[in-house]
Amino acid sequence: MNRVQNLTQAYSQAPWRIQMQIIGGFLLALVSIAIVAGIYLNVSARATTIGREIQGLQSDIRKLDREIADLQSQVAFLKSAAEMEKRAKEMGFRPIGMDETLFIRVPGYVERRTAVMAPAPGPVTLPPPSQPSEYTESLFAWLQRKIRNSSFPFMSLQPFKVQP
Amino acid sequence: MSVTTVGDPSYRNGTTRPTAGRSRQHDWRFVLVGALLSFVPVLIILQMIRIQTDPEQVALLRERIPRYQGVVQLIQPPRGLIYDRWGRLLAGNKTVYEVGVELADVKNPDTIADTLDIVLDVERSYVYKLASQEASETAVYAVLATHVTEEQVQKLQVLKDQMELSGAGSKDEKKPSLSGLVFSPMLGRTYPEKETASNILGFVSLDGQGYYGVEEHYNPMLAGRKTTQIFPLDPTQAKDMPSVPPGASLVLTIDREIQAEVERILDEAIEYHGADSGTVVVLNPRTGEVLAMATTPRMDLNNYREYLGQYDTDNPFNRAVSYAYEPGSVFKILTVAAGLDSGAIKPETVFLDTGVFEIGGIYIYNWNGGAWGQQDMTGCLQHSLNVCMAWIASQTGAATFYDYMEAFGIGSLTGIDMAGEAAGRLKRPGDGDWYDADLGTNSFGQGVTTTPLQMAAAASALANEGKLMAPHVVRSMIDKGYQYDIEPRVLSTPVKPETARTLSEMLATSLEVESSVALVPGYRVAGKTGTAEIPTPYGYTSNQTNASFVGWGPVDDPQFLVYVWLEKPSSSIWGSEVAAPVFSEIVQHLVVLLDLPPDAIRQQLTQSQ
Repeated sequence: MNRVQNLTQAYSQAPWRIQMQIIGGFLLALVSIAIVAGIYLNVSARATTIGREIQGLQSDIRKLDREIADLQSQVAFLKSAAEMEKRAKEMGFRPIGMDETLFIRVPGYVERRTAVMAPAPGPVTLPPPSQPSEYTESLFAWLQRKIRNSSFPFMSLQPFKVQP
Repeated sequence: MSVTTVGDPSYRNGTTRPTAGRSRQHDWRFVLVGALLSFVPVLIILQMIRIQTDPEQVALLRERIPRYQGVVQLIQPPRGLIYDRWGRLLAGNKTVYEVGVELADVKNPDTIADTLDIVLDVERSYVYKLASQEASETAVYAVLATHVTEEQVQKLQVLKDQMELSGAGSKDEKKPSLSGLVFSPMLGRTYPEKETASNILGFVSLDGQGYYGVEEHYNPMLAGRKTTQIFPLDPTQAKDMPSVPPGASLVLTIDREIQAEVERILDEAIEYHGADSGTVVVLNPRTGEVLAMATTPRMDLNNYREYLGQYDTDNPFNRAVSYAYEPGSVFKILTVAAGLDSGAIKPETVFLDTGVFEIGGIYIYNWNGGAWGQQDMTGCLQHSLNVCMAWIASQTGAATFYDYMEAFGIGSLTGIDMAGEAAGRLKRPGDGDWYDADLGTNSFGQGVTTTPLQMAAAASALANEGKLMAPHVVRSMIDKGYQYDIEPRVLSTPVKPETARTLSEMLATSLEVESSVALVPGYRVAGKTGTAEIPTPYGYTSNQTNASFVGWGPVDDPQFLVYVWLEKPSSSIWGSEVAAPVFSEIVQHLVVLLDLPPDAIRQQLTQSQ
């Protein structure tokens, strides 16, 4: 009986050790949570910042689109039939009469073509728009991917036989 | 054996366990604090259970969720542009502003109402009512005016800044302040050519709906697809702006220069001849493309609110497609075409005009009441003899005659890609209101109504080897980066090619023989005048007419067809004196703008190729 007690005592942890283990475990868990939370915060903050930047750029695009439309319309106003006629008259021009027109043959002359504002539809298909994974995947999915990628070289190893 | 009392040392030294007594005395305080602290969480838990289980609360929360999740925004794509056939912008977009108020920031609704009344001409009471609302969960923002121009917004911004600088006080102090006024940019419609081609284009209202013309007909394509998107308020959930493609753009068949020139000539003719209104349609008979379509009244589309004062049932937005009238003698070309094609007559067929023809119990007389004696069919056309036409119709037979008229598209829509087309009316045997006499009157364009476009399209079949091309104003559509060209389409083939050629020759000869003012030096044209009495509840007027002319050229290779209609001209009632010169003037400009050499030069150039 004493022998058993002696053995138990010999292999028992001192109370302060047990306390230290508990405290250590708790601190380890705390630090792990803090690290994960920190990473999560960091990634989220970066994603949010970039998201906001994208929104800002999209706002700039809309503003530029409006500016382009404004400029197109301004040019069209300045080149309208009435404006062009007025300017031509100010410069001393007048409309040509039917009997004043001279028709001559010009080799290689290509007749004026009606407006071509865009290419005709063809068989070319554009790839679907892609978004970087940073904007779509969760932190957990990112971690999984990283782990998978880091272990990939080992996963790809195949057993081989040594030829005699 | 000794007995030792074991117990609390303090008890032993006579302090009668005072600490334990106090502790028990104060236990109720701990219990009370504990209970109080537990009470609130218990309430929260109960409330949570209630919210989760009470159907009313569930519904209410579901309704509120989107409001707290983010801002709902309507994304309206830019409206498609409209170009003329050479790519010159006819309808574009420009920045306009929505003026609104953030109700929580409003300090003085009186100032806002007064300022907007003066600067934007918006009713003061309307603005005051909106701006003086108390901000609440449901009332955050109010729209005060839309489509405000850049200049007006700049004025408002300057006023707002000045008031801010002058130390506008709080809401209670009632000092002048435009605080709360906000300006949101957006795209609105603009028409660089103002009045030119306004009847073809139509306009777009404040709510983005197209009205009349191309804007209405192609509204779904031009407007694109609106999308509603919720933008989360949570910054970690910043969302991409969805890619909303702009509306499709259109390239019209209209030539801006021809359109402007035709409108100018028409306006001058209306003024010169004292006509009530006028309409001109210029077509390419080979393709059905409308090169110009001028009519009155017109308006500056940038001030489309003038619409209400200008147009009504008697003054449609576009007479060329929406106003059916009795065309009169220009219709005779269809009667002769039906007679020739059916074999009822030949060009050399001789008709003895005695000045009267009886059909269906009524008597048909010529325009001057006279008898013209022996006439071949060219003579009948040249002198525009009603008696001869009624005879041709009777020789053709009612059933055949109306079959031909239907094949020419009379009485049915042409299907032009513009809003508000009218079909006109062609009575047929079997209709309740058709009588035998109608065959006689219809033969010279009475008792039948057509739009100017229908007449132009029908005549274009005679200029195009008998093929009636579908009239259209859109040449191409540009959507998602590609241009889709619209191929010309044959609507019907009412007559044989040789009939069309024969009739063209007869009409050209008749113009030459009578030395018509419609003739154009250097270019051989075919055509026919029309003078139609106007039906009233008391019979036909004789002092007021619809004067018309339809013609095309060059006869051997038609490149244009021009239809002219002047309503109630006062200088003369005759189409030959009023409409024919307008045709000639238009063609003289048209051949220059279309780069069409005179016939002799063209034939010479063709032979030398």
